[in-house]
Amino acid sequence: MNEHLTTNTLIDYVHGELPSAEDALAHTHLQSCTECRSEFERETRLSEALRFAAAEDERELPSMVKAEIWQAVRAARPSPYARFATWLQPLVAVPAAAILVAVVYFASPLGHQAPAPLTVDASYYLEQHAAEQMNPLGERNVTPAVLETSDTGRPDPSVGSRTAVAAAVDAVE
Amino acid sequence: MPWSKPSFVVLTAALAVSTVASLLLGVGAEPTAPAAGASAPADAPDKATQLLRASMLAPQSVSYVGQLETVRFSSSRAEATIVRVEHRAPDRTRKWYVAPESLYGDYTITRGITTYEFDTRHSRVVTSRNPSVENQVAAIGALGLITQNYRALLGSEETIAGRKTQSVSLINKYSGERAVRVWIDERTDLVLKKEQYSANGSVAAQLRFEELRYTASIPADVFSTTLPAGYKEIAGRDYATPTTDVGRVVKEAGFTPIIPKYLPEGFSRLSGDVATVSGVKTLHFLYSDGLRTLSLFEDALGAAADFGKLKPQTVQFEGHDAQYVEDGPTTLLTWEEHQLHFALVSDLALRDMVEIATSVVP
Repeated sequence: MNEHLTTNTLIDYVHGELPSAEDALAHTHLQSCTECRSEFERETRLSEALRFAAAEDERELPSMVKAEIWQAVRAARPSPYARFATWLQPLVAVPAAAILVAVVYFASPLGHQAPAPLTVDASYYLEQHAAEQMNPLGERNVTPAVLETSDTGRPDPSVGSRTAVAAAVDAVE
Repeated sequence: MPWSKPSFVVLTAALAVSTVASLLLGVGAEPTAPAAGASAPADAPDKATQLLRASMLAPQSVSYVGQLETVRFSSSRAEATIVRVEHRAPDRTRKWYVAPESLYGDYTITRGITTYEFDTRHSRVVTSRNPSVENQVAAIGALGLITQNYRALLGSEETIAGRKTQSVSLINKYSGERAVRVWIDERTDLVLKKEQYSANGSVAAQLRFEELRYTASIPADVFSTTLPAGYKEIAGRDYATPTTDVGRVVKEAGFTPIIPKYLPEGFSRLSGDVATVSGVKTLHFLYSDGLRTLSLFEDALGAAADFGKLKPQTVQFEGHDAQYVEDGPTTLLTWEEHQLHFALVSDLALRDMVEIATSVVP
């Protein structure tokens, strides 16, 4: 690596946040480049100063440290376009995200529905019981569920109606 | 087309007869001991039991054409049907609905364990299979359970559908309540009328032949299951096959079930089965005393019952808000306990069902 390390790379290197491969390259470069090493040492001092200041937040920063901070901030100041884009970003991103969420919510059939709880059709229990119950004497006088749920149905819905088979049949159709 | 082979029916009948015969010898030993001066009363229970046995076997050998009326009562209303019946022994039956109007024209054809339900309004035929119809273990065991838990008493002779019948009442040995009364044709042993009673003595269900003609010459095409033009055939439910191997059923269910610590006197567990319903593996135990049946369903996914259009009512016990609905004389009671969901179905009184439910604890 012959090119100088960028400020961002140096900062990430100081904080150990570079990927291992880039970290190794930066380390090698710093061994041979006095200019970058000087910059690295400056970043290191600055970081240490900030950490120290954060730990002793009641303590006033030394004037030299303040000056160095401002110098670093000015040096890292983005271009006017970048500043404009940064300023514009929330204005675009927030409405876009809101629209995306709304589309997903209203367009998807699952978007605005809570997952249905597991249930067993009550009529299953009645049908299964009717199918297996002992009926040793005489005819079974239980009307088949499929026929029982014809269009007119039963007049009183408060009384049970075996509908599971019919519902399943309708679903198949 | 699956249907029961005659040999199976003959075997079933033979087993039933032999079982009943041995049962009668055991049961009959005490009451038939000849006492001085004993006449009709001492012989009556035996004759009643023999009549019951004969009536259970009659549909396997008697063919007939008739009209049957059925009524099922709930606590506040009744449902009735009128059905034309054609039965060719041993196991083919067609029922053609005359009433109510909502069922008029619909019919069912049963061939062995398979039932074809012809829904004329929707031009469809729904086919379902129910192995319990020919469960020989249950059939043979039924009379044993009945005589174990009920006392058969001869009643009066009556004429039903122009036929002379002998009535037999079945009295619960523990409660003394009459549970069922049947009127049996003296010539063919077919049950021509039957009444089931609630615990308070009210009629819970009734069936009765209004017209009846015995004939073996019923054309085969009466029982044809060929699809009428424009009809669709739809697979209905294949009911689970019950087994007495409870260990296997529990293993298949994949969770440890809780069983009732209390059952009404005379009830015992007959069988179990597992079915997957709406993705929920549901365990089912069947209990009976021979005449009355109790079903207990459990699932470990906390899947509550979906009552749909039904309007369940609430009953409270042991801190549970249980829900129940009536379907004629049958009641469905559902509740939750220890992350398991339970459903109890039977013709028992609600208070008895609540007592059973209360005992379903670890």
